Amino acid sequence: MSSDLILFENVSKFYGEVLGVNKVDLRIPPGITSLVGPNGSGKTTLMNLMTGLVHPGSGSISVRGVSPFAPEKLMRILGYATQYDAAPRGITGFGFVLAGLLLHGLPRAEAERRAAAAIETVALTHAAQRKIAAYSKGMRQRIRLAQAIAHDPEVLVLDEPLNGLDPLVRAETIALFRDYAARGRHVILSSHVLQEVDVFSDQVILIANGMIVAEGEIRNVRDEIHEHPSQFLLHCQQPARLASLLFDQADILEAKIDPEGRGVLVMTRHRDAFAATVQRIALSGIEIDGILPMDENVDALYEYLIGGGK
Amino acid sequence: MNQIWIIAKLEIRRAFFSRRALWVYLLALFPAVLFFGHGVNVQYQRSEYAGKPVTPAAILDRIPTGAAESDVLAAAGQPITDRQWKRRDTQRRSLQYYDGSNRVWLEFENGALKSTRRRTLNSFEEDSKVYAGVFQFFYLRLAIFFGCLGIFINLFRGEMIDKSLHYWFLAPVRREILLLGKYCAGLIASAAIFGGGALLSFGALLAYQSSADLQSYLQSDALSHGTWYFLSAVLGCVGYGSVFLAAGLLLRNPIIPALVMLLWESINGFLPDLLQKLSVLHYLQSLCPVAPPLDPSVPPLARMILAPAAPTSAWAAITGLLAVTALVLYVASRTARRLEINYGTE
Repeated sequence: MSSDLILFENVSKFYGEVLGVNKVDLRIPPGITSLVGPNGSGKTTLMNLMTGLVHPGSGSISVRGVSPFAPEKLMRILGYATQYDAAPRGITGFGFVLAGLLLHGLPRAEAERRAAAAIETVALTHAAQRKIAAYSKGMRQRIRLAQAIAHDPEVLVLDEPLNGLDPLVRAETIALFRDYAARGRHVILSSHVLQEVDVFSDQVILIANGMIVAEGEIRNVRDEIHEHPSQFLLHCQQPARLASLLFDQADILEAKIDPEGRGVLVMTRHRDAFAATVQRIALSGIEIDGILPMDENVDALYEYLIGGGK
Repeated sequence: MNQIWIIAKLEIRRAFFSRRALWVYLLALFPAVLFFGHGVNVQYQRSEYAGKPVTPAAILDRIPTGAAESDVLAAAGQPITDRQWKRRDTQRRSLQYYDGSNRVWLEFENGALKSTRRRTLNSFEEDSKVYAGVFQFFYLRLAIFFGCLGIFINLFRGEMIDKSLHYWFLAPVRREILLLGKYCAGLIASAAIFGGGALLSFGALLAYQSSADLQSYLQSDALSHGTWYFLSAVLGCVGYGSVFLAAGLLLRNPIIPALVMLLWESINGFLPDLLQKLSVLHYLQSLCPVAPPLDPSVPPLARMILAPAAPTSAWAAITGLLAVTALVLYVASRTARRLEINYGTE
């Protein structure tokens, strides 16, 4: 089982006296996992620890059963698109991806074929022979992604991978992540664009000040926080009548008509009781078109758990 | 081995053509330019004296000190130049002759021969010693030393400054292999530049020698000397390269290891035998085929610094140098395994 997981066991990392991460325990299953936290919270440190670019001061890490201290094994199953913008001096996009593949020991013809395919995946074929130094920020982001995926790794680690991408490429990139996850692989990414990661993430790890604040599926994390009320939008054609009925219910903290006219916004601490209430009202003749959880996204969790986030 | 070669191939272009490489080439080519320039000067003088009257050396040698000007002119004939001047009460005269390979000046005071000065147009023996001096005191101690500093210290430190080292660390390569690959790239570049420089300057030394001297040298020691000069230069790159590669991993400021190393190499002659063996220069000097001249007027301290340490046999020197290199690379590989990417502190 552990050979399918990324495991952090009591991992701490300090840069001199500055805390990187502290006593981190994680079990990350395959799928898309998003690391979310403010700048300096320790997201990149976690990724660098996972990939062996930095070493833990204490604790141990295992990536699908491989230690980050063995790059010759780890990097065969892992691709990492870092946040570092620099590339080796004078290298072209194609040369950059090709070099990585040659180091994997692939024959040149095969390496060239794979490099071209990876570059095509990130829609950079037209600029493949140009020097990376002349690339825009978004193009650099894409060429790093191309290098990370070129050897078809089991674990894809991506530091802020959606930064600087135009909407079309962004959608294609997310589709690529989903494809990886669907094949039982790990996609670990960090992002400040919170609305984006909650749409496609299977897991979320919230991190602040080097500590893991919460981890798991977004819904499960949300469920663990009983004291924080949930908000739902009830779609209906008679919002005023529905709101008046909801006011009388003990499990409802607040009910108000959605300013955008979609229905009624409801706050509750008790999901199960709320579900029963909605069912009862529906049976009484009020037509409810749908129930949409309004805060079951990373933004809401983030603001609640970390406080004052984006 | 395959990965080492792939890394070396990827790195070698940077080692040869980095923007910091220009002065490395200048250092490597300086002796060749020096001897080429000297050769041009010798050829010019040879052509200048080619049309001058030749007075056989035997005639000039027979002229005794104290001989009268008229007797000398009668015996040796008309000189190439004739200068006369008066200082205080002394009438002076200088007659210059050419015996086919030497310029000879006969100096007169008040009509009598006072002294004879002889200066050869070119002496291969002298040039050979000058070359040995330039090779040991400039090429090995400074040019290769600082050239290797420029090439090898950038292999890791330069990538940290450029924030591109993580690309190597994200390859499926053991850090030791990465280190050896980079070392090979630096070694190929530095050996080509400085080994080539040594051969070029050696060629420049031979290019202007008289055909008799050249023929004689080619039939005796030329091949052996050329090989040892080339080997010394390459082994200098082997030794200094390993030291500066390790320094680039261990220290941020290259000036510090350079100064410490330069000091260590300079005081090598003062050190006990055992410590002398922990020096690259100690072995390189033992490989040089010709002992450089040390002028007696050189101050004692400078003489001790310039004088070679206790010589070692050639094969012991090569073995010793390779052993020191292996030790340094081992320490560097241990450091590389622990190395972390932390560009924020660079």
